[in-house]
Amino acid sequence: MELLDILGLTVQIAVVGTVINLPIALGVSWLIVKRRIPGRLVFDALVSLPLAVPPVVVGYALLLLLGNRGPVGGLLDNVLGVELVFTWFAAALAAAVVSFPLMARAVMVAMGGVDEHLEMAARSLGASAVRVFFTITVPLAYRGILAGALLGFVRAISEFGATIVVAGNIPGKTQTLPLAIYSEVLLGDDATAMRLIAVSVGLAVVTLLAHNWLLDRAARSGV
Amino acid sequence: MESNIGAQDEKDGAQLLLNLKVRKSFADFTLDCEAQFTDGITAIFGPSGSGKSTLLNSIAGLVRPDEGEIRFKSEVLYSSEKGVHLPPEKRRFGYVFQDSALFPHMSVSDNIHFGYKLAAREDRRIEPSQLVELLQLDRLLHRGVSNLSGGERQRVALARALATSPRLLLLDEPLASLDVGLRGVILGYLKRIRRELGISMVYVSHSISEMMALADDALILRNGKVVAFGQSSEALVTPEVSALAHFDTLENFLDGVVRKRYDNEDLAELEVGDANLLAVGVRRDEGESLTVSIRAGDIIVSRQIPPQTSARNAILARVSEIHKVDSRVLVYADIGTRVVVEITSNSLEALELREETEMYLIIKANSVIPLEGSRD
Repeated sequence: MELLDILGLTVQIAVVGTVINLPIALGVSWLIVKRRIPGRLVFDALVSLPLAVPPVVVGYALLLLLGNRGPVGGLLDNVLGVELVFTWFAAALAAAVVSFPLMARAVMVAMGGVDEHLEMAARSLGASAVRVFFTITVPLAYRGILAGALLGFVRAISEFGATIVVAGNIPGKTQTLPLAIYSEVLLGDDATAMRLIAVSVGLAVVTLLAHNWLLDRAARSGV
Repeated sequence: MESNIGAQDEKDGAQLLLNLKVRKSFADFTLDCEAQFTDGITAIFGPSGSGKSTLLNSIAGLVRPDEGEIRFKSEVLYSSEKGVHLPPEKRRFGYVFQDSALFPHMSVSDNIHFGYKLAAREDRRIEPSQLVELLQLDRLLHRGVSNLSGGERQRVALARALATSPRLLLLDEPLASLDVGLRGVILGYLKRIRRELGISMVYVSHSISEMMALADDALILRNGKVVAFGQSSEALVTPEVSALAHFDTLENFLDGVVRKRYDNEDLAELEVGDANLLAVGVRRDEGESLTVSIRAGDIIVSRQIPPQTSARNAILARVSEIHKVDSRVLVYADIGTRVVVEITSNSLEALELREETEMYLIIKANSVIPLEGSRD
């Protein structure tokens, strides 16, 4: 029963992290790939940054930002009386930041695959840039976008370093699968650790298969 | 460099549509062009890389020039001075791409309605049902777009652009990816659109034959500069253009009606202008219209009707213009419609052709090529 709770919490945190990321990844990809904003090379590098730094650094940055004395955490504490650090939501934010580059890269590739002529045609037919995004770009790239979301999700469920710094390792509250595996290994409970590892690997394999299937379908439909 | 042909001013009642002054630089190329387009069909002609599409896209608003001004009638669409750049969706110009650019996730009907639904109610003058009839799309409406033929795709693209009731139709080489037979069919539709809907067009092409068949005026571009501008028939024979053009491929696209069919060999008599022409391979029935192609070099000029010849057509014509281009001569013959004939300067002298001279055009029946496309 405890295993199901851990699995449930892990999925909850990863899903919330992915849902937070998706609109941001769509917006950022649109700016970089379709609007070709000035300074996009720098912007593009910033998108990948969480992939390039140790997750512990991401966690620490979040801790500074969300802690009681941090700019965001202080404000939330004063105005709403809410504390984020060491909650499941902090774990979701940590998962979001760390998995963002993978998702954004995949969404950029998917959007870049949409024929520019279709978007130009839609503009000439009276559609604004925003309408073109929602009626042409996203519907044509949706398989690739979903695949990107799954890639972000699979990274989020395996998130460890940033999570432990900003959300701790509190059983029943912030203890996700990787954190539970870490605890069981430390405690020397190899049997439980192996069961958790099996679940973790199983979840990853299923997600990656779905990801590959989506990309295959996208390639076959030519968009 | 620019030779502006005077005939432009003589057109009665021609209304100024577009006033262009566009400068746009790329790494290895600069478009620098000034022109005034009047209503009707204006071709932008030039070799690939001459800046045709950049100019068209600037008019559409899909490309933002570096400098200049673009006006449609009195409305400023772009002005570097005033910092104006009207986005494409506010210009109300239809655009047809060479590759159709149909939306693959929508049916034919949804494609056609995409722009129609976005047009303001008071701007809607053309109804989709009207276009379905004009472009014969009724059997395609509920199909997806991925299994349409090239000609069907371009008809749908035309209907989609026209359904926005555009103020101007922009076409970027709409026939370039079609086979020869279909080109004539789509050309026929474009002429009907001009005639029945009264929409002016800017037509980008690198085919002189298309330009001759369709356009009233032509702007000739080379390396981003205007080399000639004026009536298409005149612009064609300016030295700058003849240097670019391959006259050996020059075709006459002529509209005709089937008057009489003979039972054998698909032989049929067509009425083209004031003349009757025999053609083979005609599949249309009596009374139906079609477009035929006759190469300018496939027509023989004779001062008398040859007494015995295998060529089935000897058509009385009058010389309307003679243009010398290097050693070649283009004779514009009037048979109720214009036919371009290519002869050598040697023949011109021997036949003593002048303007108004009467002559016979000798054409083999199988040089009259029906452009019917597929019958579906």
